[in-house]
Amino acid sequence: MMESDLNLIQGLRQQCPKAQQQLLERYGNDVFAQVARLVPVLENAEEVYQDVFVKVFMNIDKYDEAKSSLKTWISRIVYHESISFLRHKSMPTIYYEDREGEAEKLSETEVEATFGQPNPDTVQLIRAALKHLPPDERAIITMFYYEELSLKEIAFVTESIPTTVASKLSRTRKKLCKIIKMLQS
Amino acid sequence: MTEEKINALRQTDTNLREALRMDEAERPQMPADLNERLMQRMASKKKKQRHVIWPWIAAACVAGVMMIWLTPPKPAKDVVAENTVTEKPIINSKVEKPETVKVETEATPPAPTPVKVKKAKVRKPVVQSEEKLLAQETIETPTIDEPTDNMAQATPKEKMRTLTEHDIPITRPENYKYTPEELALMKKQANEAYLKWVELELEIAKHNLEQTAQQ
Repeated sequence: MMESDLNLIQGLRQQCPKAQQQLLERYGNDVFAQVARLVPVLENAEEVYQDVFVKVFMNIDKYDEAKSSLKTWISRIVYHESISFLRHKSMPTIYYEDREGEAEKLSETEVEATFGQPNPDTVQLIRAALKHLPPDERAIITMFYYEELSLKEIAFVTESIPTTVASKLSRTRKKLCKIIKMLQS
Repeated sequence: MTEEKINALRQTDTNLREALRMDEAERPQMPADLNERLMQRMASKKKKQRHVIWPWIAAACVAGVMMIWLTPPKPAKDVVAENTVTEKPIINSKVEKPETVKVETEATPPAPTPVKVKKAKVRKPVVQSEEKLLAQETIETPTIDEPTDNMAQATPKEKMRTLTEHDIPITRPENYKYTPEELALMKKQANEAYLKWVELELEIAKHNLEQTAQQ
């Protein structure tokens, strides 16, 4: 960990407003993007963003440098605050649920062909399909493909284990493929 | 699926990555004043935390003063030492109500206890005439069998006695109890109140039924 990070954490532990401002400048945009990814309405995203940082400032003593980086620790709070907000405060939304296990029947080659061969139409279909995924699955896909977090980091954020994350990723990938097929048909 | 295979997907799933990148590019930007609002919220939270402490301190002070003020004074020992002849049995009997105390104070003098006899003996030389004193010398120490003479002298003494605040039974901690009669009365009143409440509930239910029937 860099010395500037250590100083920042020390300042945060002393509830120093300067350190808090510095943290907001450093991670504010990333945190807002993460929140906005899960909480679509802007006003709600702003509320969750504020709640996340209030929690970060209040619970900074619980942060353990040995377990994760500060960014990953904040991502964990973002993930749980957003999911909790969607469950309790926002309007209930219906997502695609693969109850009959049809997505699991898709072959790996079929899935690879859908996601691997560059095609602008497929990209648009994937974007549409992503909206039908439940927030927790969408978050895992984004963390893995866009933020490029390792399985271990994703497991830390979601309070899970890497093997569970891997199987969840694989299942979500197939589920996305199934939704695309449904949209195509 | 193994971890290596999963990590390899990150490179091969180009369409998925592209879709996510495009989605991110279209996301709304963070409002410029959001951090400022957050800092204001934090400052107000700190202020609130500071304000929260003083009412508790004030409440604790008030509670302390109330406790000191309401605590009954400890009964003083032997302040009215000479007059405690009738008072002693009252304390031992742990009377619960002021009325019972009165009854007992009135009732105690006729009882020929050895304590009262001793007291009467002390007073005799002051009040009696010489003749009686001579007669007294011949009499042996009085016993329970002959209380009549002593009682006659003990009663005026008790009438002279002035009550202190320690004599008021309500100030004694042992009197902070309900008598069985009071408890029975309270139970009766509670039962009556419950019955009235049930009747009221029934009336409300009837009224609601009538209204729904009318609708």
